[in-house]
Amino acid sequence: MAEAVEVRKVAQESGEFEPKIVAFLCKWCSSAGSDLAGVSRLQYPSNAVPITVPCSGSVSPIYILSAFNKGADGVLVSGCHPGDCHYLKGNFFARRRIYLVQKLLQFIGVEPNRFRMSWVSAAEGTKYAQVIADFVKDLKPLGPHGKLGAKR
Amino acid sequence: MVAIEDIRARARTLLESGEVRAVLGYQRGSAGTLAEPAFLTEPQQAASLVWDPTCIHNLALYLVNEKKRQRTQRSNDKRPLAVVAKGCDSRALVVLLQENHIDRSEVVILGVSCEGGGVIDPRKLTRALAGRAATTVAMDGADAIRVGTASGETTLPASELLADRCLECARAYPELYDTLYGDKAEGRSYSPRFAALNTVAEKPLDERRAYWNAHFERCIRCYACRAVCPMCYCDECVVDSTEFVVTPNTSADEKANRIRWIQRSPDASESAMYHLVRAMHLAGRCIDCAECERVCPVNIPVRLLNNVLEREALEAFEYVPGTDPGLPSLISSFRDGDPNDFVR
Amino acid sequence: MTRRTGVFVCHCGTNIAATVDVKKVAAELGQDEGVVFSNDYVYMCSDPGQQSVINAIKDHDLDSVVISCCSPTLHEKTFRDTSAAGGMNPFQCEIANIREQCAWVHKDKAKATPKAIKITRAAVKRVRRNESLTPIGVPVTRKVMVIGGGIAGIQSALDLANAGFEVVLVEKQATIGGHMIQLSETFPTLDCSQCILSPKMVEVSKNPRITLMTSSEVKSVSGFVGNFKVKVHSKAPFVDPEKCKLCDDCTPVCPVVVPNEYDLNLTGRRAIFIPYAQAIPASYTLDEEACLGLNPVVCGKCKEVCEAGAIDYDVKPKVTEYEIGAIVAATGFDLYDKGYLAEYGRGKYPDVLDGLQFERLCSASGPTGGQVLRPSDQKEPKNVVFIQCSGSRDPENHCAYCSKICCMYTAKHATLYQHKVHDGQAYVFYIDIRSGGKGYEEFVQRSMERDEVIYLRGRVSKVYPSKGKLKVMGVDTLSGKNVEIDADMVVLAQAMVPSKGTAEAAKTLKIGRDKDGFLAEAHPKLRPVESVTGGIFLAGAAQGPKDIPETVCQASAAVSKVIQLLSKPELEHSPTVAKVRDSHCTGCEMCVDACPFEAITLVNGKAHVNEVLCEGCGTCAGTCVRAAIDVKNVTQLQIHEMISACMGG
Ligand SMILES: Cc1cc2nc3c(=O)[nH]c(=O)nc-3n(C[C@H](O)[C@H](O)[C@H](O)COP(=O)(O)OP(=O)(O)OC[C@H]3O[C@@H](n4cnc5c(N)ncnc54)[C@H](O)[C@@H]3O)c2cc1C
Ligand code: SF4
Ligand code: SF4
Repeated sequence: MAEAVEVRKVAQESGEFEPKIVAFLCKWCSSAGSDLAGVSRLQYPSNAVPITVPCSGSVSPIYILSAFNKGADGVLVSGCHPGDCHYLKGNFFARRRIYLVQKLLQFIGVEPNRFRMSWVSAAEGTKYAQVIADFVKDLKPLGPHGKLGAKR
Repeated sequence: MVAIEDIRARARTLLESGEVRAVLGYQRGSAGTLAEPAFLTEPQQAASLVWDPTCIHNLALYLVNEKKRQRTQRSNDKRPLAVVAKGCDSRALVVLLQENHIDRSEVVILGVSCEGGGVIDPRKLTRALAGRAATTVAMDGADAIRVGTASGETTLPASELLADRCLECARAYPELYDTLYGDKAEGRSYSPRFAALNTVAEKPLDERRAYWNAHFERCIRCYACRAVCPMCYCDECVVDSTEFVVTPNTSADEKANRIRWIQRSPDASESAMYHLVRAMHLAGRCIDCAECERVCPVNIPVRLLNNVLEREALEAFEYVPGTDPGLPSLISSFRDGDPNDFVR
Repeated sequence: MTRRTGVFVCHCGTNIAATVDVKKVAAELGQDEGVVFSNDYVYMCSDPGQQSVINAIKDHDLDSVVISCCSPTLHEKTFRDTSAAGGMNPFQCEIANIREQCAWVHKDKAKATPKAIKITRAAVKRVRRNESLTPIGVPVTRKVMVIGGGIAGIQSALDLANAGFEVVLVEKQATIGGHMIQLSETFPTLDCSQCILSPKMVEVSKNPRITLMTSSEVKSVSGFVGNFKVKVHSKAPFVDPEKCKLCDDCTPVCPVVVPNEYDLNLTGRRAIFIPYAQAIPASYTLDEEACLGLNPVVCGKCKEVCEAGAIDYDVKPKVTEYEIGAIVAATGFDLYDKGYLAEYGRGKYPDVLDGLQFERLCSASGPTGGQVLRPSDQKEPKNVVFIQCSGSRDPENHCAYCSKICCMYTAKHATLYQHKVHDGQAYVFYIDIRSGGKGYEEFVQRSMERDEVIYLRGRVSKVYPSKGKLKVMGVDTLSGKNVEIDADMVVLAQAMVPSKGTAEAAKTLKIGRDKDGFLAEAHPKLRPVESVTGGIFLAGAAQGPKDIPETVCQASAAVSKVIQLLSKPELEHSPTVAKVRDSHCTGCEMCVDACPFEAITLVNGKAHVNEVLCEGCGTCAGTCVRAAIDVKNVTQLQIHEMISACMGG
């Protein structure tokens, strides 16, 4: 443990650690919101690679776990605000499911800040940029995640 | 009091009349003290049925397995199976009904109440007897268990021998049954619900991580937990592959199409992934029979991974698995007022 | 399954090329398994750009392409058409968005380039497993339902009928007309509202293609675009419109008096009544709730006096089922309740009116025959204060949005008042004046200059009764002074909100609402009259605050969309729908419960997707724990490989 903390500290101090993030964005709101961030030329860190899915409701827990297992330092799922889902209620199912994934991950010792859900509408380009910027900022001090269940 | 004679009599009539294909119950173990699952097809076998705190197994599993077997053997004996079911076993049946995996007409439920007791944890028993072998185990009132050994009988507090899940059980009687043996005892429980879970959940994050990493490190991926779970009834588990069931005609190309969510290697990270996926897939479905934990050869507290989601389901969504076959399941339903604060 | 994929990286002039090393992206992807061609070009979407894709498809025998460019919302269709022109199935084309999601939001080329590579690689992984699909053909019913009989619904119904379509117009009130029939004169031309609307209402009742269902509401909608099944519940018609002679013999004998909602409670009416003279259908109506009792009959007076025998207490409510191809939702608006405004008396002061009440006072058919009189004492008010933005533009306490039309109708109200009360003075408190529209600004200016309405820029903090007057405490921000006016009457330009019941209607129709509760359009700019649900269109104030001309425009626009839809022999439905892997499905029905569109049923113990109902959201796939259901071309296998690509693998 101590060693791992040391490694993380070093990474943190030298400012080299760039967290790898997978962002699952729903097509109608969050992906459109990220498009708006682009159109508005907002600047945010390049750490998050987006995967556009039809709806946050289509994000299976296994996607999230798999992203961590493939070495993601953080995973984001973003959908339409409650009540605004293009598919009426997909995001409500997502919210419940993701809540559970999050609690499970925290239980096995994954820092709460590594996994996030956000509501970003098509009009919220600024919010999208902020969500990514905040996520990167919060992930940096945590250092690399390593794979699930692996020693750090 | 559960009168075993009544259960035997019922089993005998059911078999004699040919109403059921077989009776699934418990019989005296051929090795050691623990009762073992019995698959009875002849009326005279009914006499071998037993009921005591060593009747640990969740017999719902055998119902599921039997169903699978019938399907592959294309049997057309449509008669139901009778199953002896404790509280937790009956909840498993409820979930199976809820998921249309079984039909109510396929099963005759001989519900037994644990009446304030429960079943023992064999590991606790071994520890308590310091190596001596038990010959008999019986409840002695609600709070004590009488254990017979070669050197005589001792009476031990039930709280020292009962399985964690029994200590924490709030409803130690069948939810659903055709006949009920014993009284529904409300308001028991030796420890609060989720007591074992909370001791781990309350550890600081770093300790929790170390705790689970050590466990995942040890997992040998024997999949015993999956094999014993009555809810893990899929023909093919996502852990193995999800693209298709392999047949002799399966081409190499098609094999390449399999999703390898999880590698077969017993790497800690792959094992973690396995356990987490399994926990997610049991969310709202696991009824806490704790069989997974019991059969684990390397003592991984598998039950707790399911417990944590069971607790969240209860606290955040007021969902209790295995209570009503008519209810939509935890993850195929939602409420407008579900927690939302965690979302940014 | 060896695929032959082509990758085309666009510079978008310098839009992408300035931050992403496009040549490097093309070169790297060129190394990837299955990529047999990769290239970059300055404008992929230009004619030569598209031609280069077509050529490459032919020359290199490509079976799939990835265009790494701008957002798929812009050019997915373009490049799918291009792919089809090259002889490929259009669903074998995927877009990697490296402009909005990469080049435009980063500056550092060294960081943006690897990200662009990952995004493109993910798209390559995805397209390699795409199925070739063809749109699903669906037959259509050539009959339209219009919900709401305000000007939006009336206009839609007439336009549709005139284009030759059968229309069912459903109105929940006893008469059509909506709010417009309550207005006196309309800005900016001050023509009489009833005079321009009544002929249209009559036309509705006369048109043989229009089935009018008043006192009715839609209770359930099933099916899908082109093929809806709609159940309409109608209240019992105790008075037969065919027989009613409008003699008015029944009302004098009715012992019940309740507030008259058509006059916004400024007058009363009986339990048997006619909303107003021009009501369509032209008939009296028996209000069951107000009546002393019909089962058993308590009073029975109206039936006794009705010589035409039009009244029958025994008729029952009925449910009618229609087969409908498209629906226009025109459920209109209500005014924000005065009760929410504590500072203006929570609606308790009789002489504090809302805009619609003031319309009734000005209307020749209204309670005062068009004279402006105070409700409390029927005296002519000499000082009237109009307060704009009452409940609008106040995100903290009330509605965040601008109700858009209040500046105009307040100017109209003040003008009408000055015309009617020559020695009176109208004051208008405003935040700013929004008078965009043909002739609108001139109208406002006229009210100030010719009609001498006093405009005060500022908010009113409080209104309270004092010595028979209403004390209005405001501030004039232009002079910086506090203003106190002893008013005889105050008129609040209340915010426009979605009509009561909009939430339920949206739920029944399975269409979305925006953050303020108005019906949501599919795209704020490009699809303003379509809902997100295929075959359901929006018109009028139900979609957002608007005035009559805009409402009429939108109604006609919605109709043109309906006609487009129903003119095709068959409809096309997107083929990216869910498909079930029977070998894995255990029939647990979790997906059945979760599907927002009720597209899944169990058939022989396995999930079965009705492809026409399926919108391809994938909620089922996210729910199924057995990976037994997937959405075509966004399968779990594809996502799995995309995740790897995002991680750099
Ligand atoms: C005080 C005031 C003054 C105005 N003055 C002017 C003016 O001078 N000039 C101008 O251009 N505009 C004016 N307007 C705006 C004008 O009133 C609206 O633009 C217009 O009425 C909108 O028409 P609509 O059909 O969309 O809605 P509505 O008029 O609200 O009609 C909706 C109809 O749908 C019915 N309905 C609602 N829900 C259901 C349901 N679930 N099922 C069946 N039926 C349903 C309602 O009963 C109603 O009949 C004014 C508005 C106000 C408030
Ligand atoms: S959720 Fe999965 S297993 Fe259950 S019915 Fe649907 S497809 Fe079949
Ligand atoms: S993709 Fe969405 S609409 Fe289609 S069947 Fe699945 S849940 Fe229903």
